[in-house]
Amino acid sequence: MIGVGLTVIFGVMRIINMAHGDMVMLGMYGSFWAFTLWNIDPFLSILLWVPAAFLYGLLIYRFLLKKIVPSGELNTLLYTAGLSLFIANLALLIWTGDYRTIKLDYALMPLRPLGIAVPIPLAVAFGMAIMITVALYWFLVRTPTGRAIRATSQEPEAAALMGVDVDRMAVITFGLGTALACGAGVLLAPSLYLYPTVGEILVAKCFVIVVLGGLGSVPGAIAGGVLLGLVESLGAVYVSVPYKDAIGLVIFLLVLLFRPSGLFGVGKS
Amino acid sequence: MRKILPAALILLLLAAPWIIAKPFLVHLMIMVLLWTVLGASWNLLGGFTGQVSFGHATFLGAGAYTMMILYLKLGLDPWYGIVIGGLVAALIALPIGYLCFRLRGPYFALSTLAVAEIIRLIALNWESLTAGPVGLLITTLPRVTFWGKAINWESKTPFFYLAVIIALAALLATAVISRSRLGAYLLAVREDIDSAEAIGINTVQVRVAALSLSAFFAGLAGGFYALYLRYIDPDAVFSIALSVEMVFIAVVGGLTTVAGPLIGAVFLVTLGETFREHFLVGHLIFYGFFMMLAIRYMPEGIWGKVRLWIKKPATLGNSS
Amino acid sequence: MSLLKLSGLTKFFGGLQAVSELSFEVQAGEILGLIGPNGAGKTTAFNLIAGFISPSAGEILFNGENIGGMKAYAVTRKGIARTFQIVKPFKKLSVLENVTLAAFLRFPARREAEAAAGRILEKMGLGSKLPALAVDLTLSEQKRLEIARALATDPKLLLLDEPMGGLNPTEIDQASKLVRDICRGGVTIIWVEHVLKAIMNVSDRVVVINYGKKIAEGTPEQVVKKPEVIAAYLGTKKR
Repeated sequence: MIGVGLTVIFGVMRIINMAHGDMVMLGMYGSFWAFTLWNIDPFLSILLWVPAAFLYGLLIYRFLLKKIVPSGELNTLLYTAGLSLFIANLALLIWTGDYRTIKLDYALMPLRPLGIAVPIPLAVAFGMAIMITVALYWFLVRTPTGRAIRATSQEPEAAALMGVDVDRMAVITFGLGTALACGAGVLLAPSLYLYPTVGEILVAKCFVIVVLGGLGSVPGAIAGGVLLGLVESLGAVYVSVPYKDAIGLVIFLLVLLFRPSGLFGVGKS
Repeated sequence: MRKILPAALILLLLAAPWIIAKPFLVHLMIMVLLWTVLGASWNLLGGFTGQVSFGHATFLGAGAYTMMILYLKLGLDPWYGIVIGGLVAALIALPIGYLCFRLRGPYFALSTLAVAEIIRLIALNWESLTAGPVGLLITTLPRVTFWGKAINWESKTPFFYLAVIIALAALLATAVISRSRLGAYLLAVREDIDSAEAIGINTVQVRVAALSLSAFFAGLAGGFYALYLRYIDPDAVFSIALSVEMVFIAVVGGLTTVAGPLIGAVFLVTLGETFREHFLVGHLIFYGFFMMLAIRYMPEGIWGKVRLWIKKPATLGNSS
Repeated sequence: MSLLKLSGLTKFFGGLQAVSELSFEVQAGEILGLIGPNGAGKTTAFNLIAGFISPSAGEILFNGENIGGMKAYAVTRKGIARTFQIVKPFKKLSVLENVTLAAFLRFPARREAEAAAGRILEKMGLGSKLPALAVDLTLSEQKRLEIARALATDPKLLLLDEPMGGLNPTEIDQASKLVRDICRGGVTIIWVEHVLKAIMNVSDRVVVINYGKKIAEGTPEQVVKKPEVIAAYLGTKKR
């Protein structure tokens, strides 16, 4: 999901958003506070946070990013890197660097489908992620706005000629990407440790996924995510545990160098 | 312009004995100088040559570990260790350059990030060489005499002067390069790689040279860093955070200028370290904030802006 | 021995054959025009000669040496310079620096490089614009800058890619005179051009390309009468 958000943002606006991981972090914290302060189950608070994130994304784009995009991809990259550092450190200041967790009552007994132990929150998160992904797919393919977004992603000039408000699409897309990331954060919160710099690590993984699947391609991002997960797990078993992250990175490099349009050749290089 | 910089530094050296009285200030100055070197190192590649690297910590770490390993396992004096650290860093820059320079712009940046992370993971796991996550520790520093007086490693003074020397070397190198033919070629590569090739510039060679030189200074800084802190582990010296900080200092200070990294370091490091004394965490918030400010309003950096006011755009043989 | 000799030069881009069995010779001291309809493969041929892409098959002999597949910077060092169809000056650098950079190839010391650059810029009529930023010049001036930059590498062969594009009639005449002057200065020229009047007036010989193949070769007067050439440009008449 995070990957999809990132790839959409890149595809439409050719922004490499280094701050994407921090959106996830914000989502995680959002659900944490909702749970701690108001006792709302994270899987419910997602309904609150996703629209909030969407709005937040809109605002960020409109007021911060919009002026930077024309000055080039590299400048945007640097800018979002700055933004990322800013948000993460702000979070550090406000919420301190202590690790937090969300403990749900029903999380204690894992499910056991097919003999594999799956913790309940992760299972629910997985289920919801699939639902959201399907919904997203439907949105992009069936609704006029969704199609407009895809058109802008493929040929901005042609889309503009056809009457698509490219500017508005960019704003919406950014909001969408942010909402996706945040939503992912909310879903993941019960299963992971929360701390403000989690964004850094996530954004790196996220880029790997997106490049594997092809930048700008939504199904690619999904496939990439699955692939990376598989590679890491298999790598952990067959190569060695600590190097599993390295494997993903090595593949990332190889793809960048030799198949820049992604393993499936559907992305932009 | 050319006269102000050395004059400022000489003033610094003269003021040193007074500054040395307050340990925090000395530490601050040392950090400023260290980050000046790192910023200058990145500037050679990122500013002059226009290749943005997010993995420069690789070279810092390489220098740090080289120095540490040579000292702890072979008893080689840190002085030599630091210089060799720089050379090792310059060496590993060669294959990295040839590999990553096939990519351009943001993709190059991402690839350097990946390389840095891979190396960090290797350092974390190759325990026989690097002692892995446990890190390397110096317990006793060598007995060195300087003009008859034994150096007191406990105080920060010797580190201060060492830092001054390395920083001066880095800035001087940048100045010399910027006025040379290589410096001109770097700017050409930054502006338009195809045009540069068309006028006979071997852009791959030029970029790798820039990376190697840049890596050398980062490696020097790394060796010094290791000596100063006396302890390193993979997360301390190979982290993305360090790479990113280098970028920010160079950009905010002023790309393509010689003094830019110094100004950037003075500004950001002072803010950051002072903040860190009081709040302990989150000091990088300034880095993020000023980076955004810089890209938005001052892409040429603080020093770049200052020079524009004095009406001297960054040109060949003129960047001071 | 001819200065440049193409033998069976061929280039495939995936399944598309951009250049097919292209063969012709260029003698030292002549001006050779390369013409053909859009998409005929002229710029591809240039890119092949200049080293920006490598051939799929065939030879490019420069002074008897096969340079096919050599990298662009190496080709320039051998003595072949090129301009680009859409000018690519070093925008944020000054006019003098643009050309000095090129002069560095033959004069490693800055002072001499700058002096050489200054001389060439004078000849190009840009002597008064040395400190101006490249991005601030008019199109005609930028084109002259591009040529000056190419000349600063002291080439024996100059490849001009549509130097007249976007110029008004007065500028075209000036440019034509410039091309002749350069040739008289000892540089052989191959140029691609769509402004037929100019290229026919100035070239000693012309090669016509269509669909990547050579369809005619000869003096401008000879070539202009050939039915294949007329057909290529105007299409066959259906009356």
